[in-house]
Amino acid sequence: MQRKYHRSFNQIRKIVEDTAGFFSDHEIDESLRMKVDLSLEELFVNMVNYNTETDSDILIEMKPIEQGIEVSLTDFDVERFDPTMAAEIDIDAPLSERTPGGLGLYLVLKMADSIHYEYRDRKSKITFTNRVTGE
Amino acid sequence: MFKIGFNDHGEVAVSGRLDAAQAEKAQEFLDAVTDHCVLDLQGLEYISSAGLGVLLRTHKRLMGSESGLELVNVNKHIFDVFRYSGFDKLFVVRAAQ
Repeated sequence: MQRKYHRSFNQIRKIVEDTAGFFSDHEIDESLRMKVDLSLEELFVNMVNYNTETDSDILIEMKPIEQGIEVSLTDFDVERFDPTMAAEIDIDAPLSERTPGGLGLYLVLKMADSIHYEYRDRKSKITFTNRVTGE
Repeated sequence: MFKIGFNDHGEVAVSGRLDAAQAEKAQEFLDAVTDHCVLDLQGLEYISSAGLGVLLRTHKRLMGSESGLELVNVNKHIFDVFRYSGFDKLFVVRAAQ
């Protein structure tokens, strides 16, 4: 599956519907849905929020892999930003020191079984996988 | 479809998907809460960091007045997200029966 989405939070519903369809069509284990939905949303929202110098649509690609799924998001005409280098969050910090910032990418790094970042010709591409055996 | 509102027990019932597109709606509702609040999450299917941010901001505001949020009827998937986020240590969280 290869599809482009406008840079808007309103597209999240469409992404979720398309992901559900892909899981069904390729008989991917539904136990992976929550992690895939979450990583997809967090990475998409991060691109929408921080790559503000472009109006280009964001390309999402999915393909089935052994016991799982591989998902890529590509953002065009943007500066380099490697989500795999996101700062660690101290989840043991007391409430007074906790802020919502950075939690999204932290969750992606925790939930994906593998994650890879490429930057070339002003294209920013992040690919993650989730497998049933990755639990 | 995301829904938030008071149930018959005076708790705030949250259902559907609390994602970045719905976080503003949830925040507006919870901004009007001024006292200790029980959130019934039985119908909550999904939460992302945007939704977690809503809970965190509201909890911190209420804790300033010696109250806070209590999260009840939390299903396994949502509890996993709370655990990964460390929210199980910040909130009173009760799992679904």
